Amino acid sequence: MNTTSINFESFVEWDTNPFILFNNQEKILYLNNAAELLFGYVSKKELYDIAISYAPQSFGYKTTSLSLSYDSFSFHAITVGYENEEQISIRLYYTPRIKHTEKLETTKFITTDINILLEANIALFKTKNQNPLTLLTDQDLPPFKIDQNNFSKLLRKVLDTFRSSDSINISLKLLIGQHVIIDNKKEAIVQLSIQANGRYADTDNEIHNFAAQSHIKCILQEHSIKLEIPLIQE
Amino acid sequence: METFFTTSDKIQHIIKSFNLTKTLFVSSIIIGEAHTGKKSLARYLFPDTPLVSGENQEEVKAALENHDELIITDFEKLSNQNSLDFTNKRIIATANYMGNPQLIDTLFAFIYTMPPLKDRPDDIEYLKKLFIKEACSTLIIDKKEIDTDAIATNLTSNTESLKKSVYMHLMKHSLNATEIESILYEYLLKHLDGNDGYREFLGLYEKPLIKAGLKKFGSQLQLSQVLGINRNTLRKKIHEHNID
Repeated sequence: MNTTSINFESFVEWDTNPFILFNNQEKILYLNNAAELLFGYVSKKELYDIAISYAPQSFGYKTTSLSLSYDSFSFHAITVGYENEEQISIRLYYTPRIKHTEKLETTKFITTDINILLEANIALFKTKNQNPLTLLTDQDLPPFKIDQNNFSKLLRKVLDTFRSSDSINISLKLLIGQHVIIDNKKEAIVQLSIQANGRYADTDNEIHNFAAQSHIKCILQEHSIKLEIPLIQE
Repeated sequence: METFFTTSDKIQHIIKSFNLTKTLFVSSIIIGEAHTGKKSLARYLFPDTPLVSGENQEEVKAALENHDELIITDFEKLSNQNSLDFTNKRIIATANYMGNPQLIDTLFAFIYTMPPLKDRPDDIEYLKKLFIKEACSTLIIDKKEIDTDAIATNLTSNTESLKKSVYMHLMKHSLNATEIESILYEYLLKHLDGNDGYREFLGLYEKPLIKAGLKKFGSQLQLSQVLGINRNTLRKKIHEHNID
């Protein structure tokens, strides 16, 4: 097969992994769709510096395994390559979403207005703490199926990590355009995000466990916790 | 409907949280000292829910099988806590103490702490008034005759000791001489024994007499005149009964 007649550029353009081509002045010469999305969360300089640090010693390509995360984007490897002194490219590989092995026990799931559970947990939090707290929620979120008891425990654990934080901001919204496949069905995702000036990390393992039981993806960071909850309706 | 009075912010938040989760199938527990109103609160929020005590393990087991909604009191007394299954049930438990924190943590979604009465000054006033009203009607005492400020507020065991101190105070202030005599009669009937009874039990009369006299008249000299006994005799008796 004669490969030289094929233009590979559109393959790179539509790859789900980010690809960026820099010149030696740190200027972006090309970036694909996925990279454009990523630049909402990371600076040009940071990625350029990474490319320089992980570049092969001489012309060619080098793939390094590492762990990088920007907001909810996490990567497990990068390839850095250059064929001349003027240009350098970096490609980042998304860490695959952890596949939940245990089957969801949907019999435990009851159609619930998540706002009620959230408000009840905030009231519980307020019985123990006096921290200022803001809540921005989407009242139009449709009720969806969830294990109420397990989810409440998860919320209690999550909020507890902010017990000494100031100005806690909680927001609940539908992630437009993002989906997760559960039992061969495409489900929308609701994101609960809690941010503050810091938090405790002592129960992060438990949070992971509770989240896994309900197929919730949790992103635990130094100042925030984000829960991506599948919006199961049937 | 029975009401639950409180001005405590903490309890208001507990009530709010319960009201929100009333229709959800979640497990909740209220933990706090004895006699702080945990059971009353659960009853107030869930007036028609079946109630079982953790003292009776078999009863709890049977109730869990038959009901989707259940109040379990004295949860700390249940010895089979780790075999309980609260899946898709609405459980409201109360406990005097945490017991095994890890187990409580896995069993319950909502863990509330009931503040002791001493941290709820407004609630103390309200309950005190309530108990006085109740006691006056029970003991048939005219409320106007009572100096409510003089009633000691004993909070060592929350509402229980508060109630007791109200009743005791009202009893003490409403007894007439005949009733006091009959109390002494019952007491002596029970305790009189040995070979030095007269001297031993005389204190029951002499001690309060001298104490009250000293409080009322200030000096021993004046009191001896009121009592019509010699000053030296009075002094001897004060010493004998260890009165300061």
